[in-house]
Amino acid sequence: MRSYGIYVLTRFAQFLLVVFIGISLTFFITHLSPIDPVEQMIAGMTAMGQSDPEAVSLMRTALQELYGTGGPLIEQYFTYWGRILSADFGPSLSSFPTPVSVLIGRALPWTIGLLATCTVISWVFGNLLGGLAGYFRENRMLKLAGVIIMGFHPVPYYIIAFVLLIIFGLMWPILPTSGGAAANLPRGWNAEYLISVLRHSILPAASIILVGLGGWFMGMRALVSNVITEDYVTYAELGGVKRSRILPFYVIRNALVPQVTGLAMSLGAIFNGAIIVEFVFSYPGLGRLLISAVYAGDYGLVLGVTTISIVAVSAAVFLIDILYPVFDPRVKLA
Amino acid sequence: MLGRLTLAVLASAALFSAAASAQEVPRNQNLIVENPNGTIANPDWFNIWTPAGNLNQPTGLHQLAMDTFWYIDPDYGLDGVWDNSLAAEPPIYNDDFTQMTVRLREGIYWSDGVEFTADDVVFTAETHMKTDGLVRSAAFQVNVESVEAPDPYTVVFNLKRPNSRFHSLFTVRWNAAWIMPKHVFEGKDPLTFNFNPPVSLGAYTLHSYDPNGQWFTWEKRDDWERTTLARFGEPGPQYVTYVDPGPPDRRVIAQMNHELDIIHDVSPEGMFTLAREAPSSIAWFDGFPYAHPDPTLPAVLFNHQHEKFQNRDVRWALALAIDIKAVAMASYRGAATISAIQVPPTGTHPDYYHIPLSEWLSEFEIDTGQQVIRPYDPTIGEQIADMLRPSMGDAIPSDPDKIMRAFGAGWWKQDLEAAAQLMEKAGFTRRGNDWYMPNGERFTIRLMVEGDGRPVMTRAGTMIAQQWRDFGVDVTVENAQAAFFTRRNGGDFEVAISWSVETWGGHPDLSFFLDSWHSDFVAPAGEVQSPRNWQRWSSPELDKIIEQIREVEFDDPKGIELGHEFVKLMVEEMPTIPLMAYNVFTVMDTTYWTGYPTADDPYTNPVPNWANSRYMMVRLRPTQQ
Repeated sequence: MRSYGIYVLTRFAQFLLVVFIGISLTFFITHLSPIDPVEQMIAGMTAMGQSDPEAVSLMRTALQELYGTGGPLIEQYFTYWGRILSADFGPSLSSFPTPVSVLIGRALPWTIGLLATCTVISWVFGNLLGGLAGYFRENRMLKLAGVIIMGFHPVPYYIIAFVLLIIFGLMWPILPTSGGAAANLPRGWNAEYLISVLRHSILPAASIILVGLGGWFMGMRALVSNVITEDYVTYAELGGVKRSRILPFYVIRNALVPQVTGLAMSLGAIFNGAIIVEFVFSYPGLGRLLISAVYAGDYGLVLGVTTISIVAVSAAVFLIDILYPVFDPRVKLA
Repeated sequence: MLGRLTLAVLASAALFSAAASAQEVPRNQNLIVENPNGTIANPDWFNIWTPAGNLNQPTGLHQLAMDTFWYIDPDYGLDGVWDNSLAAEPPIYNDDFTQMTVRLREGIYWSDGVEFTADDVVFTAETHMKTDGLVRSAAFQVNVESVEAPDPYTVVFNLKRPNSRFHSLFTVRWNAAWIMPKHVFEGKDPLTFNFNPPVSLGAYTLHSYDPNGQWFTWEKRDDWERTTLARFGEPGPQYVTYVDPGPPDRRVIAQMNHELDIIHDVSPEGMFTLAREAPSSIAWFDGFPYAHPDPTLPAVLFNHQHEKFQNRDVRWALALAIDIKAVAMASYRGAATISAIQVPPTGTHPDYYHIPLSEWLSEFEIDTGQQVIRPYDPTIGEQIADMLRPSMGDAIPSDPDKIMRAFGAGWWKQDLEAAAQLMEKAGFTRRGNDWYMPNGERFTIRLMVEGDGRPVMTRAGTMIAQQWRDFGVDVTVENAQAAFFTRRNGGDFEVAISWSVETWGGHPDLSFFLDSWHSDFVAPAGEVQSPRNWQRWSSPELDKIIEQIREVEFDDPKGIELGHEFVKLMVEEMPTIPLMAYNVFTVMDTTYWTGYPTADDPYTNPVPNWANSRYMMVRLRPTQQ
């Protein structure tokens, strides 16, 4: 038990180090990028309107003071860490003075709702079908399913998104292709609104799931193919244990450990959003927010989104690390 | 089992039913318009006077809910290009342009029932003068000494120095300084107040919006007759919704499904698809090139703080190495409106500039050192039309005047021999096909383009780079993407495809962009340049023209003469190479609405993110009651 405690502490220290390095790197990359938020804002404000050079020069100074972008980089770095530790990402520059946390808070439920669901659906069906295909290798239906799933897998998900858009948006327009819910529909926990949200999520979700299934399917099929050659599976079969018991409890259970790791990491990564799918379907998630922040040079917002992602992925890995020895006794504590 | 199946079928039916039943806004009363700014990250923010509000303005906010003294239409206007909106008459200046008096229109009301008066104007000006960081704070602070209201319908601005164009601060081209409701903003911090819900001075007021920023719906005010737009009649649409319809392909699909009445802009290919497949879709021109030419002039901008572009002969050589027909085909698939001069070929400008100067252009000569040439070819617009005719058939006009207005008039004919002579005249040498500068180094050019954000201009830049390479220049295309504006403003480029010329469109006065080209405003190398002289070119002759324009009144015909002098100076010096108008493929669906502006009825700009697109509302009529 003592060695497990040391193991957890070591992993926690690694987690903190990864978060520290990740956030620091993101901070310096965004701040050293050639995109200046003040210049981006000025370009937007003067693109088709006023252009009195003297006034613009004065405006530049005012915005630099307002955004606090004029100070030394290292000072801004420590200020940012101070904000993170007090759970405050500061104001968004492109939406000043609205806090970054408010903007992220609006987009996050949509991203989590869409991507977490898609990830779990892909994981469950991919592993289930992969496990069956690996165990019943001669089954024709499973072979056909494998061919179809593997056919989708190498196709980039934005291509699938466009194909779905053309099929269900143009040729057979039965599903909405834009937004998170119908326009002018009062928002609330009522059936009409929820059905609308569900309808609007079908195409973005389908484009993610269709591609995502393949990875889990392949992984699980390969793992099961190895596990069924293990002695304990052979003994179980020779001992007359039913196949319906061998598959879930002897085979899939043992093959599942690396897949659970993958699931945890995938769930952590959803905080980046599915940028292209969100863009294609005008879905109001974090991916769109991140892209608009990059184009606006809004590094406060970019940092906010990436910090959440870094912490989420690192936390997922940390949790898996500390749960591994519990789930799988074969993992030895060094 | 049967019960479960029935439940599943019912749930599926609900999911796949084509429309939600609780739509409060009837489709046949709702004009659905693309908001090109996309999904708005901060949709609760309606304070248009702040920088953050700048991103939110094309959600209908500045088109339908704002108002100011004057509007200039980029095309021909409902009643001429100049419209006295909140002002009852044009600006009244004193003799030395240090004071501007504005007589206000009476009987105009905010949407909450409070009358608009001079107090609102004074409050707007004084708020900007004492608050740093609003979009137009600096413009007020630089210009205004004091502002006063001698009576409820008169405002007097006392200026810090003579400024014959001060009224342009309150004159909408794309937008302008909007008037604030004093009774709403008084006592609030103008930088942090979100102005939600907005109190409108326009004919519409906010009906509802998506908390995630995808759409904003505006409803016609019951008292629309108490707004300035009412002078032109009752607005047709009861509702106007500005939406983010997604990427270009999605916009095309949405319009084919009649879910999007006005596409702001789409790719040339998308436009051609709609022209072919969607009989109810119309564009500015009823045939090729379809697009509305914005009063903006994309050009090849040389950074004049680089030694290699100091010589006029080199700039002209690079201009003559360009085949504009190929550039038009590469950028707009031929749907371009070219311009040989530094004035966009749009609105009334052909009548003021391109046509009157055509003879001078035809007779303009260049001495290459080995021969004297006349580089202008007045038939290039017709040549582009001829190139397209075999594939586009009847969509290509045959009337010369229509061709001129659609494709542009002439341009500089590609002449590689003359270009080479000019390079040699400038001291360059050619080894094989490669050009070397007078200092013996290879002549290289880094040509910066914007990338995905502006694909049409990126295609133009790539084609020009290829043509210059063929001519023997070592050209590298730099795709700056999101860093484009920071680099352009900071002078971190050699050559860029961008624009430094933007005009009123309908009005011939060039001060809108030209005043900022004065040498007083050219930043030293390494420092940030303020708009719009991105090329950082200065010339005593140009300064003289600008100073003379400052001394003449806005409507003085002398301004056009000075504009002609500017054009001639630009042609002689070629500090930037003008290419074409910024053509916008605005496509309008006639399924639910008719009365859109077109080249045959150019009463206003159809491009819906312009504030003056509000004039469209009074001419639109529903087709389905």
